[in-house]
Amino acid sequence: MNRFVTANPSKCIGCRTCEVACALAHSDGAGVEGLAPETFKPRIRMVKTANVSTAVMCHHCEDAPCVNACPNNAIVYRQHSVQVEQERCLGCKNCVLACPFGAMDVVTVPAVRQFAGMTLSLGVKAQAHKCDLCVGRDAGPACVSVCPTSALTLMDRDAMDETLRRRRERAALEAAEVAA
Amino acid sequence: MEKHMAVCPYCGTGCKLNLLVEGGKVVGAEPLNGVTNEGELCLKGYFGYDFINDTKILTPRLRNPMLRRSRDAAFEAVSWDEAIDYAAKKLGEIKAKYGPDSIMTTGSSRGTGNETNYVMQKFTRAVLGTNNVDNCARVCHGPSVAGLQVTLGNGAMSNSIPEIEHTKCVLVFGYNVADSHPVIAKRIIKAKERGAKIIVCDPRKIETARLADLWLPLNNGSNMALVNAFANVLINEGLYNKEYVANYTEGFDEYKKIVDKYTPEYAAAITGLPAEDIREAMRIYAAAPSATILWGMGVTQWGQGVDVVKGLSGLALLTGNLGRPNVGVGPVRGQNNVQGSCDMGVLPTEFPGYQKVTDPEIRAKFAKAWGVESLPDQIGYRLTDVPHLAETGKLKAMYIMGEDPAQTEPDLALVRKGFEAMEFVIVQDIFMTKTAMFADLILPATSWGEHEGVFSAADRSFQRFTKAVDAKGDVKHDWEIISLLATAMGYPMHYNNTKEIWDELRELCPIFYGVTYEKMEGLGAVPWPCRDLDSPGSKYLYEGNVFQRPGGKGLLFATEWRPPKDQLTEEFPLILCTVREVGHYSCRSMTGNCAALQTLADEPGYVTINPKDAKALGIRDQELVWVSSRRGKVISRASVTDRTNKGAVYMTYQWWIGACNELTIHAVDPIAKTPEYKYAAVRVEAIADQVWAENYVQQEYAKLKGGLSNAVTRATKKAPAYA
Ligand code: SF4
Ligand code: SF4
Ligand code: SF4
Repeated sequence: MNRFVTANPSKCIGCRTCEVACALAHSDGAGVEGLAPETFKPRIRMVKTANVSTAVMCHHCEDAPCVNACPNNAIVYRQHSVQVEQERCLGCKNCVLACPFGAMDVVTVPAVRQFAGMTLSLGVKAQAHKCDLCVGRDAGPACVSVCPTSALTLMDRDAMDETLRRRRERAALEAAEVAA
Repeated sequence: MEKHMAVCPYCGTGCKLNLLVEGGKVVGAEPLNGVTNEGELCLKGYFGYDFINDTKILTPRLRNPMLRRSRDAAFEAVSWDEAIDYAAKKLGEIKAKYGPDSIMTTGSSRGTGNETNYVMQKFTRAVLGTNNVDNCARVCHGPSVAGLQVTLGNGAMSNSIPEIEHTKCVLVFGYNVADSHPVIAKRIIKAKERGAKIIVCDPRKIETARLADLWLPLNNGSNMALVNAFANVLINEGLYNKEYVANYTEGFDEYKKIVDKYTPEYAAAITGLPAEDIREAMRIYAAAPSATILWGMGVTQWGQGVDVVKGLSGLALLTGNLGRPNVGVGPVRGQNNVQGSCDMGVLPTEFPGYQKVTDPEIRAKFAKAWGVESLPDQIGYRLTDVPHLAETGKLKAMYIMGEDPAQTEPDLALVRKGFEAMEFVIVQDIFMTKTAMFADLILPATSWGEHEGVFSAADRSFQRFTKAVDAKGDVKHDWEIISLLATAMGYPMHYNNTKEIWDELRELCPIFYGVTYEKMEGLGAVPWPCRDLDSPGSKYLYEGNVFQRPGGKGLLFATEWRPPKDQLTEEFPLILCTVREVGHYSCRSMTGNCAALQTLADEPGYVTINPKDAKALGIRDQELVWVSSRRGKVISRASVTDRTNKGAVYMTYQWWIGACNELTIHAVDPIAKTPEYKYAAVRVEAIADQVWAENYVQQEYAKLKGGLSNAVTRATKKAPAYA
């Protein structure tokens, strides 16, 4: 099963700590001082409506619409998650339209090439931009570790089984109550 | 990488954290397992440290003392000797000419710590010879202190922060916990998970309202009517604890007479709430085996704040929800050390440790300890009196430490006039601020992260914080600066470190005596009262239901509801209520210089408005709009949202362009002198030319930022530069 981060709307207080942690986890070590409004592109977004506050991000679907929609096979299943191979991304935005959660975006980043110790600008490069589960970060998903109300959890097979077990138990209890 | 233990400098939760330091620079913050935060931090705690590094995003750090010899001159950098001599001479002259009461000082409820505040009030009382010392509790929880001291005998939270998650009912009144204290919000969520009922009284659909079992969206300005109706239900439905009332309270008959009129039906007309909901709220509250009331600025920033605080404490007394664990009354302090500045006696009425200046024995004790013949016996001025006192010539000089009243006080035009009328203004701060622009002398201090000390969390817990990096520039610790000034004014004062100051004040304050630096080592938190060296302190107050009042009983108090002061008219048909947002803090001198926080929210800030009101005014979401009141006019950005109630708009108070305090009214509570920030009549207007408006915001913002930073760069051009 693919792993994914889920948000509990009855715990989220709409504070956006997760957004900042996500942006920082993908800042190539630039740290907070590298953050600026123009370049702030977290892969998790806090959404507030009249009745709900919650964070929205990639579900790492098992049969992912974005994977299916990509004409260049840039989106793949890897390490129990859905990952983008940025070199292959064309920036065609098919995946953006395919994702039912609005979790995918296409952004442009400055493209550079190293040549003889110099950094050469190659204009801009498009990137399909979404939660990568912070693969490569030792401490795991950055958003999960900072959320002040523990509204975020990383769901893997074990966590999912545990949730299912609890749900079934509750259903059984409720059924027993109805029968009684 | 080095790690240095600190306490978060933002809110009163008092979260313990490590500052991560690399090469003399703070590069991160990580949570520690402190008593109040248990391994959590919020947005500001995690990402609000880089202001220390002088990012200059909003304003520059101050690096040198700066003086201007006349108001039309520019600031010039001067040496400490010259700055201190100048200040001593000026203050001395003003004192000789107009008397000590012509001078006022402020403590700082922010990063400086308790020791500095102690030294500031000592300087004010023993050297200047006046009780004119106050702090920004005046504009926030002043009414909680004043109210609770009368009804229960102690102005602080009765129970500790960790207890909140073990209570069985939380009554949240005028308190936006998610934005003010996110880590306390977690406690409320946990309480709910453990089966507690949550009742929220707030006109807006704040985050807690969303999670509540019962949400009472009362009309803005109807608090007293609702609290009286609550009492009415408790009494008339027989829900109150008769035995508790008989044994531990007084004033019941008088109280009952007043609240009798406030039937839920009568209150429904004032509050706009269904009578049945008012009843239901009290049935839930009274049925809970333990219940906690938490409140914030939605209770205190009113012309009738003190009365409502007394009323809320009455609900706890009626139901016996005091004097044991997991119950109580909680005025949850906003700024990280506003509890501390009150503890340290930067109040015009009290010495440190809540000892009255009007008590001759107490005065004699402090006079003896401080080596002066006598100390002033008259209660001093309040911060909110300042503009008026300056304009009428009673106040001639002011020494403002770590506060920015030119941003945070109500009716800023009035505040500016007050500063201009004064003969001498000293501002001591870490940043160039709007207030510093009015100063004659600016004294640069070390920042949180550059010094150590003790803070008081909202729940009375004293906690130590340590230094992480060396300060850059020609700056000194706040308490060192004050000591130098005292010495120059003929009162030799010298401390080697904060512990010396702490031990001096411990000896003078019986309720703090047992709180030693050793006990607060590491993650130690010691809640006062703590009278003995072997006591761990008091997690909750009023043990055995003994209240700190003559006779030991709690006072039941009610009074008639008074409508707010400002008048809604056709010209100004909407209510403006000032609030806060999670990512910015106080005047924003700190958070505005933090890259992450400034990335999430910047000028001109938002005015939130209900879709119905917005539609009637032809305003669309995210458009710039004018907001004006009888006192001023500012530009802001509309956020059209159903969470805002119809008829009211909300603005946060840290913006320079969208400065809501240009609009607020200088109407104060008669006792606490806290302003009615929560109710000003305003008009909101659409702007046809949005392009012009966007440019206008950018230009004005650049002008203001430029003005502040130029004042510093011009002055320090000749002084040594500090990277
Ligand atoms: S950090 Fe947690 S509480 Fe805050 S917005 Fe994200 S999910 Fe919600
Ligand atoms: S898991 Fe990592 S990449 Fe995904 S939303 Fe959280 S912080 Fe961002
Ligand atoms: S809750 Fe308060 S003390 Fe804790 S990290 Fe946030 S601002 Fe700091």
